Amino acid sequence: MATFSPILRQLGCLRSIAKPQSLVSSQIARRSLTTVYTPKQEPVPLPSKLPKSFLSQIPPRQQPTNGRKKLKVYPAPPSSRTVCKDPVAAVTESQLTALDPTGERKALFDYRRNPRSVKVGDILRVTFKNGDPFSGVCLSIRLRGIDTTFLLRNELTRVGVEMWVKVFSPNVESVEIVQRTEKRKRRARLYYMRQPRHDMRSVENIVSNYLRQKSALSGQRGQGGRGRGQKRRR
Amino acid sequence: MIQLKTMLNCIDNSGAAVVECVNVLKKKRPATVGDRIVVVVQKQRNFGPESSNNSGIANKVRRGDIRHAVVVRAKKEMQRPDGSIVKFDDNACVLVNKSGDPIGTRMNGVVATELRGKQWSKILSLAPMHV
Repeated sequence: MATFSPILRQLGCLRSIAKPQSLVSSQIARRSLTTVYTPKQEPVPLPSKLPKSFLSQIPPRQQPTNGRKKLKVYPAPPSSRTVCKDPVAAVTESQLTALDPTGERKALFDYRRNPRSVKVGDILRVTFKNGDPFSGVCLSIRLRGIDTTFLLRNELTRVGVEMWVKVFSPNVESVEIVQRTEKRKRRARLYYMRQPRHDMRSVENIVSNYLRQKSALSGQRGQGGRGRGQKRRR
Repeated sequence: MIQLKTMLNCIDNSGAAVVECVNVLKKKRPATVGDRIVVVVQKQRNFGPESSNNSGIANKVRRGDIRHAVVVRAKKEMQRPDGSIVKFDDNACVLVNKSGDPIGTRMNGVVATELRGKQWSKILSLAPMHV
């Protein structure tokens, strides 16, 4: 069987070669005949005065509008940028005048400009509108315009408690500096004081000491507490 | 953020010291202050070496008990309506019975004031201090 197959294959191959040769020759013959050049037909222009009723019959590409509807272009709305250039700053300004008319609170926490302001590491005492105070070490001051906050940390009944307080909140009645930090802290955020190694633990003793001294001075020097706090160091 | 497997301190005198959360009730999210949870008592509190023999009197719950509890402190910071944020250094709870009364009679430790808004004033009055 194996000896027959190549012969069969060869015969089939010959037949296939013989067939297309005639086709190719006929194609060449046909090509050689087409030598006359006929220019492309010029498009017949539409009659200029075509009644409107006929316009729908011609294809949309050849219609005078080129198949497109004419869009109405509206003028741009007046820019609000010209009315108010920086609306966020304007809102902050108006809120600050409402919540902090004297600018005292702002100066108390503006540690970048005011050298007498609260610094991180100070012990603060905040009294709220509802009467309950909260005191603690100031771990960070976040200056964000009207959203300015500070973080106090204290230890109550041997459990660490942290509180973020909004400086300009109407709920905050007063902020007192109980004790200044002994040395300027070299960090802006004292989050390391959460670690047991650096934790200040409870500051209740210092605060109660301060309150006793304050009441001894008949409590008239509300603002003077700052100066005294500086003197009294452990 | 108290959820399945969270270990909490128990700050009442029911006898449990450390409990493990096994379920958060009425919520599909992690529990926070004021939420009711189901806990398993993992560690008992020993009231001194002498009272170990009569621990049945002092301790109202035993190790392995399944109880309901109310979260009173959470590590996850929570925001108050006035914008201030409060967080504690640990997660703590108080055991309550099915009707919502505390099992212990005393509490040691500060609790969050949010309990008042969630009808847990009884726990708040037992606490020595609230923030």
